[in-house]
Amino acid sequence: MIPFILRRLTTLVPMLLAVTLLVFILMSLAPGDFLTPVKAQRDINPALIAELQKSFGLDRPWYQQYALWLGNVLHLDFGYSWTYKVPVAQLIAQRAPATILLSVTSLLLAWTLAIPLAVLAAARPGGWIDRLTSAAAYFALAIPEFFLALLAVWMAARTGWFPIGGLTSLDHDFLSPAAQFLDIAHHLILPTLVLGLGGVAGTLRVLRANVLDVLQAEYITAARAKGLSEKVVLFRHVLRNALNPLLSTIGYAFAGLLSGSLLVENVMNYPGLGRLVYEAFIREDQFVVLGSVVVACSLLIVGNLLSDLALAWSDPRVRYGR
Amino acid sequence: MAQPIFPIALCALLLLSACSPPPKISRQTHPLPAGVDTARSEIGRSGGVFIDSSPGEPSTFNPLVSEDATSGGFIGLFLDSLVHNNAVTQEVEPGLAARWDIAPDNRTFTFHLRPGVLWSDGHPFSADDVLFTFQAIYDPRFPNRAAFDLSVDGQKFKVEKIDDLTVRLTTPQIYAPFLETVGGVGLLPKHELEPAFRDGTLLKSWNVSVAQKEPQRLLATGAFRLRSYQPAERIVFEANPHYWRADAQGVRLPYVDFLVTKLVKDANASTLAFATGQTDAEGLSPDNVAWIDRYASRYGFSVFNRGPSPNTGFIWFNQNPGHDTAGKPFVTPYKLAWFTDRRFRQAISHGIDRQGLVRGVLFGRGQPLWGPETPANKKWYNPNVTQYPFDPARSRALLAEAGFQIGPDQKLHDRHGNLVEFTLNSNQENQLRVNMATAFKENMRDLGITVNLSFLDFGTLVGKIQDSYDYEAGMLGLTGGGDPAGGISVFSSKGRLHQWYPNQKTPATPWEARIDQLMSDQLHTLDYPTRKKYFDEVQKIMSDESPYIYLVTANAYVGLKDRWKNIRIPPLGSLVWNLDELWTPLLTP
Repeated sequence: MIPFILRRLTTLVPMLLAVTLLVFILMSLAPGDFLTPVKAQRDINPALIAELQKSFGLDRPWYQQYALWLGNVLHLDFGYSWTYKVPVAQLIAQRAPATILLSVTSLLLAWTLAIPLAVLAAARPGGWIDRLTSAAAYFALAIPEFFLALLAVWMAARTGWFPIGGLTSLDHDFLSPAAQFLDIAHHLILPTLVLGLGGVAGTLRVLRANVLDVLQAEYITAARAKGLSEKVVLFRHVLRNALNPLLSTIGYAFAGLLSGSLLVENVMNYPGLGRLVYEAFIREDQFVVLGSVVVACSLLIVGNLLSDLALAWSDPRVRYGR
Repeated sequence: MAQPIFPIALCALLLLSACSPPPKISRQTHPLPAGVDTARSEIGRSGGVFIDSSPGEPSTFNPLVSEDATSGGFIGLFLDSLVHNNAVTQEVEPGLAARWDIAPDNRTFTFHLRPGVLWSDGHPFSADDVLFTFQAIYDPRFPNRAAFDLSVDGQKFKVEKIDDLTVRLTTPQIYAPFLETVGGVGLLPKHELEPAFRDGTLLKSWNVSVAQKEPQRLLATGAFRLRSYQPAERIVFEANPHYWRADAQGVRLPYVDFLVTKLVKDANASTLAFATGQTDAEGLSPDNVAWIDRYASRYGFSVFNRGPSPNTGFIWFNQNPGHDTAGKPFVTPYKLAWFTDRRFRQAISHGIDRQGLVRGVLFGRGQPLWGPETPANKKWYNPNVTQYPFDPARSRALLAEAGFQIGPDQKLHDRHGNLVEFTLNSNQENQLRVNMATAFKENMRDLGITVNLSFLDFGTLVGKIQDSYDYEAGMLGLTGGGDPAGGISVFSSKGRLHQWYPNQKTPATPWEARIDQLMSDQLHTLDYPTRKKYFDEVQKIMSDESPYIYLVTANAYVGLKDRWKNIRIPPLGSLVWNLDELWTPLLTP
C-alpha cells in the first residue's frame, strides 16, 4: 500500500513541472504584464516603473523567471503576491477555508440527495419517481452553473429571502456566535444549491445505472429468495456494490468543484479562492496564478489517490501492491 | 455545516436575529488634545453606521506600497498627513500641522504640529514620526511612489527636526505643488514600524494579512481606525478614540461609530445594493441615474449631480516619426504627413458631433470637452480655449486647404491620391468608449474618411501605445484634476504619456517646446496667479494644436441616503469629503 501511495505521489512532480511551464509560457505570451495598469497612470515616474520591473524580475526573459521561481519552490517558497505583498501560500490559506466549506456542503448535498433518489428510482424503472428524477436531472445538467448562479442572484434580489452574495452579513461581527453560525448557513444556501445541483444530477444518473446493473446479479436474487425485506436488499446489498464505481469518481468531483466554484464565486460574490484566482489572472499576478495552479493539480492527484484508497477499503477485491 | 434542508426555518431564525438593534459602542472618553481642531459645521449627534461599497479590494494598507486609488482611499481614512487638500475648495488646510510658515526664499517650510495629539494606541505623535516617515520614503531599500513625488529633479527634500513639535522641510528648488504633495503623505508611527524599518521588511508590514489578523496594529491618527478586514467581503472602520477634531460643543469627532465598506466586485451588483436601500452612498454613472431615481422615495435617498467629472476622453493620432528595429516606420510616411498637419486634426475635430455624443451615449448627462482639464478642476480649468463646434462645412474647407479632396468614389484622398483611411484603437472593457468610437466612425464617414475600429484588450493597447508604437490612432481617457504638476508626463515632450509622440529627446515642434517651457516655469513659482496664467496657456495650446482631440466629459453622480446630515460632496475624489462631520438623527437605517 505505502509504495503505491508513494508511486502515485511521485507522478505529481513531472505533471506539476509540465503544467507550470505551460502556464508560464502562456502568461508570457499574453499581452501586457502586471505593471501595465501602473504604466497607464499619468503621475507615476518612469524610474519607479523601471525599479519595480527590476524588483519583480519582469525585465528578464521568461525562462529565467521560470528557473528562478522553480529554484525558490525547491525551498518551499512559492513567491509572494505582487498585488498584496503577501506570500502566496499565506494568501491561498486565507481564502481556501471559504471555498473548502462550499465544496464540502455542495458535495454533501449532491450525495445525500442523489443516493436515496437513485436507489428509489432504480427500484422501479419507469415508475413515477424514476421519470420525475430523470427529467429533473436532465434539466439540471442542461443549465450551465454560471447561469444558475445568475438566476439565483436574481431570485434573491426579487424575493429578499436570501442575501445577495457574500458569506456573512454586514453586522456579522456584532452577532452572537450562534447567530453568526446561522448567518453563514443562510448565506451558504444559494451557492450550495447552485454548485451542488449539477452534482446531484450527475451522481443520480450514474448511480441509477449501477443500481440497475447490480439488481440483475444472482446474489440479489439469492438475497430475495432468502426472504430479506426489499429495503434491506436495496440499501444493504445493492447500494453497497453499486457505490464502488462512484467512489472512484469522487476525486474528480472534488477537483471539479474547485474549478466550478471559480465561476459561481465570481457571480455570487463569494469570498473564496475562485475570486482570488480570477483576479490574479486578470492582473497577471504571476506567482498567485502559479500557486493556484499547483494547488489545483495537487488536489486532482490527491483526490484521485484518496478515491482509489476508498475503493480498496470498500471493495475487498481491490488490492494495490507491488 | 448545516444542510439547507429547512431553509425556511433558517430564514425565520435569521430574520429574528437580524432585527436586533445595531450595537451601541461605549466610546472611550479621552481628554481632547491641546491642539484640538474645532469643526465649524453644524452640531450633530454621535452614533450610527455608515455603509458604502467599493468595487476594488485594497491591495495593501501600507502607504509605501500603495499605487492604486482604492488602497490609497482606505489608507487615508486612518493615516493623517501634515496638511489636507480640501477636495471641495481645492485649498490646502491644516492637518496634523496646525499651521506652517513659508520663508522668503519660498523653499523653506516650517510646520508646527498640533500639541497633545496621540496615536490610536495612546502613544504621543511627534516630529520624530514625521522624520521617520521621510526617512522611510527616501530609503533606497524601499522603492515607492512617494519618493519620486517628493523630490525635484532627483534631489530629495531636506527634513529637520527643530523641536518635538516643529519640523522644517527645505526643497532644493522652488517646488510649486509642495504643499499638495505633502498633503498626500500619510505619516507613519515610528514606535510601531521602526523594527521593520531596521530589518528591511517595511514594505511587507501592514499588508492585508496583518490587517486581517491584527487590525489594531494599524495605528491611526485619522478619524477612523481599522476594526476588521474580511478579504473579498468587507472592511469595518470604527471611530478613532484619539482623533484630534471636535465640534463646537467639545464632542469628539467623528460622529459615526462605524464605517462599513462592502467589497462588491461587480458594479451592477453594488448599484443594485444601493438602489434597494442596502448601502448609504454610491457613485453612479450617467446611464444608471434615471432608473435609480425611481426608487429614491421608497428607500429614502437622493441623487446628487456632482457636475462634470474630472475624466477626459480623447482621440489622437500617432505622430511618432521613428521606426522599429527592422527599419520599418511606425506610421506609414504619407499618413504621418496627415497626422502631423494641424489642419487635418482640426478638421477631424470640427467633424465630431459632440452634442450628439452627449445625447446618444451619455443620455444628455455630460458636456462637450475642448481642452485637457474639465470644469471639475475649478482651480485650474481654463474656459477660454479654442472650441471646435460640429461643422462639417468648416471641416471640408480645412481639408481642402490642406490639399485633401473628395474623389469620384465619394471618398477623401490626399494630394497624392492616397485614400484617407485609418484604424482607431480603443479598449474593449469600456462600453461608453466603444459606443463613442462607433459614433465617431459615422461622423468621419460623412467627411469621406474611412475609419476602421479595433477594440483591444487594455494590456495590448497600452503595449502598442507605450512600447511598440505600432498603431495609427487611439482613443482613451485620462483622469485629470488636481495640480498641473500631475500632468507633466502628459504635456511635456519628454513625458511617458505624451502619447502622440512620447519620450522625445528634443521637442519636435515649436509649440511642444513652448509647452515644455510653461510646464517647467509653473513648477518653479509658488504664486498661484502666475501658475494659473502659465497653465491656461498650456490648455490653450493643447486645444489650438489638437494633438489630443477631446470629446466629452460625463457628469458624475452620487446617491446618498437622506438620513445623513452635514454632507459635503466634492466635485472629484471620494463621495463624501467630510466623513468625520457626518451625523444622522435616525440611528437605525
